[in-house]
Amino acid sequence: MTQTRAVEPWTLEPLQRFVAESAARLALLTTTSGQVIAQHGFTRAVDVMSAAALGAAIAASTSEIIRMLQEPAFRVLAHQGQRHGIFLARFGTPRGAMLALVVYGGDSSIGLVQLFFEQFARDLAAACPAPEPARPVLAADFERDLNESLAALFGR
Amino acid sequence: MSLVNFTTREITCKIVYYGPGRSGKTTNLQYIYGRVPEERRGRMVSLATQTDRTLFFDFLPLELGSISGFKTRFQLYTVPGQVYYNATRKLVLQGSDGVVFVVDSQARQLDENIESMQNLHANLLEQGLDIRTLPVILQYNKQDLPPELILTPAELDEALNFRAWPSLPADAINGHGVFETLKAASEAVLRKLSEERT
Repeated sequence: MTQTRAVEPWTLEPLQRFVAESAARLALLTTTSGQVIAQHGFTRAVDVMSAAALGAAIAASTSEIIRMLQEPAFRVLAHQGQRHGIFLARFGTPRGAMLALVVYGGDSSIGLVQLFFEQFARDLAAACPAPEPARPVLAADFERDLNESLAALFGR
Repeated sequence: MSLVNFTTREITCKIVYYGPGRSGKTTNLQYIYGRVPEERRGRMVSLATQTDRTLFFDFLPLELGSISGFKTRFQLYTVPGQVYYNATRKLVLQGSDGVVFVVDSQARQLDENIESMQNLHANLLEQGLDIRTLPVILQYNKQDLPPELILTPAELDEALNFRAWPSLPADAINGHGVFETLKAASEAVLRKLSEERT
């Protein structure tokens, strides 16, 4: 069973179109520090978080090696496995740099993913809304909820 | 940086466990992993050397539950403590919403603690994070060791805590202080998020 969801709803339509057109199995859109913005195909939120953290780590460490070599900034890494390939790309949007982690199988290819990825990046830039003003997030008494949640989490 | 979604009412925050090598950062996460129900946590990802020293980071995603109507998730990371791995420490610090600095309370480790604290200051500065406003919690770990081997929380406060951050004693290997530390860090991170948004 696949799961599709987005923390930033404007990213969802371009992401779904990209996955359909490239015939990818799974795709994650994250910030450069590994926060998930949108997903398609991962089934558990916590697996998504692990994949996002690892993707961000790969991108960050590769960027640093590239910087040492005084090469232009990191854009794409790809790995071709026996059953699955992985495509990891960093790209700019009006909301700042983002990462895309894409997993594809035998019904797609690195070429197909790369081809439609360029369009995906353009679609995202076009769909990006203007930044919203900050809104209050938590109630003044959020500590009570937090204490109850943590106590339940630790069985106390 | 915290990610907040008003449509799905979700918050995701990143907390980094920092400190010198062998101070107990990974032990904190392992204890949390072992205590939290499976449906509320993800896999603990550890990028470690063959001898189980942290090479890049440990990572543990936690679902805290509903806070003020927001489904709240925390991403817990550790950094490699060894001096050699500073490049990877900087990368893990990127985008962090709060830091737990795990201190090795052994008297002979005081210099390593000070060096790691200075390193935290330097790396945060490099990342553009303001240590005066970033939530930081100090955990004085290994307080279960014989008194003649360790410094007391008051002595450690004197040596390391010139910013008067909240500090807690702990014995992470047996779980003492681990929950309290996570609670203090979560509260500080969410309070800052709340203040920033009003």
